[in-house]
Amino acid sequence: MKEKTIIQIAALVAFAIVVYSCIEPDERMETPADEWLAGGSQTVFEKGVSAFSSQFPDLLNNRGRVHQIGDGGFGATFVSAPAPVNPGLGPIFNNVSCVSCHVNDGRGKPPLSGEQNTSLLIRLSVPGTGAHGGPNPVPGFGGQLQQRSIFGVTPEASFRVQYTEFFVTTNDGTQYSMQRPTYIIENPYIPLPADLMTSPRVAPPVFGLGLIEAIDDADILSRVDENDLDHDGISGRANHVWDELKQQTVPGRFGWKANNPNLLQQSAAAYNEDMGITNFIFQKESSYGQSQGIVDVKYDVTDSLLQSVSFYIRTLAVPARRNANDAQVMQGKAMFLQAGCASCHVPKQKTKTNVAFPEISGQTIYPYTDLLIHDMGDDLADHRPDFEASGSEWRTAPLWGIGLTRVVNGHNNFLHDGRARSLMEAILWHGGEAQQARDNVRAMSKDNRDALIKFLESL
Amino acid sequence: MKRVTLLLSVLAAGVVWTSCSDNNDNVPAIDKTENTVILTDFSAQVAVPIYTNLAAKAASLYSDVQALNTSKSATDLAKAQTDWKGARELYEQSEAHLFGPVATDEVDPRIDTWPVNFTDLDQQLASGNTFTAEYIDGLDDALKGFHPIEYLLFGKNGQKLASDFTSRELEYLVALATNLRDLTADCAAKWTVDGNYSAEVSTAGNGSTVYTTQLAAFEEIVKAMADICDEVGNGKLKEPYDAQNAALEESPFSGNSIIDFTNNIKGVRNVYTGKYATDGHGLDDLVKQHNLSLDAEVTQKIDAAITALGNITVPFGQAISTQKVQVENAMSAINDLQATLEDKLLPFVQAHSN
Repeated sequence: MKEKTIIQIAALVAFAIVVYSCIEPDERMETPADEWLAGGSQTVFEKGVSAFSSQFPDLLNNRGRVHQIGDGGFGATFVSAPAPVNPGLGPIFNNVSCVSCHVNDGRGKPPLSGEQNTSLLIRLSVPGTGAHGGPNPVPGFGGQLQQRSIFGVTPEASFRVQYTEFFVTTNDGTQYSMQRPTYIIENPYIPLPADLMTSPRVAPPVFGLGLIEAIDDADILSRVDENDLDHDGISGRANHVWDELKQQTVPGRFGWKANNPNLLQQSAAAYNEDMGITNFIFQKESSYGQSQGIVDVKYDVTDSLLQSVSFYIRTLAVPARRNANDAQVMQGKAMFLQAGCASCHVPKQKTKTNVAFPEISGQTIYPYTDLLIHDMGDDLADHRPDFEASGSEWRTAPLWGIGLTRVVNGHNNFLHDGRARSLMEAILWHGGEAQQARDNVRAMSKDNRDALIKFLESL
Repeated sequence: MKRVTLLLSVLAAGVVWTSCSDNNDNVPAIDKTENTVILTDFSAQVAVPIYTNLAAKAASLYSDVQALNTSKSATDLAKAQTDWKGARELYEQSEAHLFGPVATDEVDPRIDTWPVNFTDLDQQLASGNTFTAEYIDGLDDALKGFHPIEYLLFGKNGQKLASDFTSRELEYLVALATNLRDLTADCAAKWTVDGNYSAEVSTAGNGSTVYTTQLAAFEEIVKAMADICDEVGNGKLKEPYDAQNAALEESPFSGNSIIDFTNNIKGVRNVYTGKYATDGHGLDDLVKQHNLSLDAEVTQKIDAAITALGNITVPFGQAISTQKVQVENAMSAINDLQATLEDKLLPFVQAHSN
């Protein structure tokens, strides 16, 4: 019996060797195996400019076609009505197409000096709450500053960003230059109220969102620790936001403050607010009720195209990690865990079972976020509440794909308004609940800090 | 049972031995020096000459419209139209390598957005606005770049005469040509003196801040070749054809659409052969060393796609209803080329670089 077991084990080991040795000699497959596949079965091995732009690898033909149609919609430039193609832009707007902010399906950045602003917008409100517990819109301006307009209409206002440089020193004496932004709103078409609150936000990457949408609410809520009962200094909260279709309050998970409940509503709101494109969810122009408002009787984007664009975003694949088993990367990962970053940037999530959408069903994914909102301290605060998120609370941003920002978008600007010009600057901005983790990074040796950055670049 | 398992494990060990030694025999030695030459020549013989010539063509287009503004002569209009097509030829070829500054610095949307915002354009012309460079720079993408210039130069039905121009149109045209000249010059500079993207490509895996391995640069290049086939086959041709809507056609005013599409595929050939004007070391040189039939297949499919586009003999807006067979053949030839690039050339370069 014993001998038999030993022989059987020997046979198994031999088989295992056969199986593993005959797989193409590919470093991607080495341990930890599933971590290479950041998006589970919907991972693609892309690391160039189109790393965020691939459709799910196993979308069936007809679903692939819907993805393509949505891709067309995502790239479509809107123009002033009347027009034979894509009419309905504005009258006031932030940009003319989805892709002009989400360039290459990636991350936006603030305008550099002398540059046109393309992918940063400013949310507005006044104290109090709006109809469903959301931000209280500014009379004459609404919830978002539209800084552009079609011919003959005055933009709501223009804005520019000014930066003040300061330095942060790590415990080993290395100095990091940081830049603190100030937003200056100019030339409003009517006076702005004195108690105006603003929140600048850059366009976030749009890949992998279908998988994030497929995470069970219960999994997200299980990490809520509002009163920090486990005494780890981290008190994640869920935002609760208005679902336009369900007409009820639900947990939020998209947007910089988890202020949107799902991708369909997110896409519809972006069409409406960012481009002035009406649709079945947001039927009135963003300028409705303003002195320059026009009444648009029909939707600028059809229900089916809106659904296709939303499907397109839902089915953008996640790029695989690079160099995950590199020694320095492994050292950096150990630093990431040791410093406590993973308390909020939770590496692993699972998606729920969904027989109607097999591609996103039951996947193990590595988005590096808990999707909860956390107090990030005064330095990052916008002092503008958004549903239940306070002025200093932000949603933990997913970190997957972050190392590909340079090749996809040509910059390394991070955080909600792109103020950080490198991953290290982004880390050093962390405060509030993340203060301890930030201080742990400051206390690291240069060798360990470099490794930490290498690790982030491998995501 | 015991014997069977024992036998199996012995057998398995044998398989390990033979399978691994076979594998090792089949894995080609990666020639990093050769790969560096190919990446260097991609920049030096394809990307840089194309972007530099594009900038030069846009500069002559600017001079032409300046001259047209003064002379209002048919000769100057013809010159401007020819230079527009010349610049267009270069830009469409460059779309076979749509990565780097042109993509990350958002040059592409600013010079090649479709459709044109006619409503606003008409109102701009009717207005008293001064078209300074800064003003044009701040306009929406649908009001500047190749297509508004095309609309002004060729007219809505392609019949524009020098005598048709209003002074406001000429004023706007000069401003748009200035903007195109500056943006294309900027793009050329980013590959050379201002940013040196050439070096980011040629030093891939050896100091490049963009491409940490040569493999990453090779993948970028081959995927860009496949992407333009996707764009032409499944977008530029398919969308107007499926919708049977000529309004969706790109470059309708100049009747240049089929030429545009053909130049997109010629751009694929430039990249594959490492040749725009001078024949550099291209991907073809690497492929020929290891797999002659793959080289023949890529070459044949590029030629077939160009031939199929050439068989469309009427403007594309008409062809979608009167030459459906030719349009379908062109789409299928381009889809075939895309499949070869994605399913064969890509794995080939992945096996020959790291």
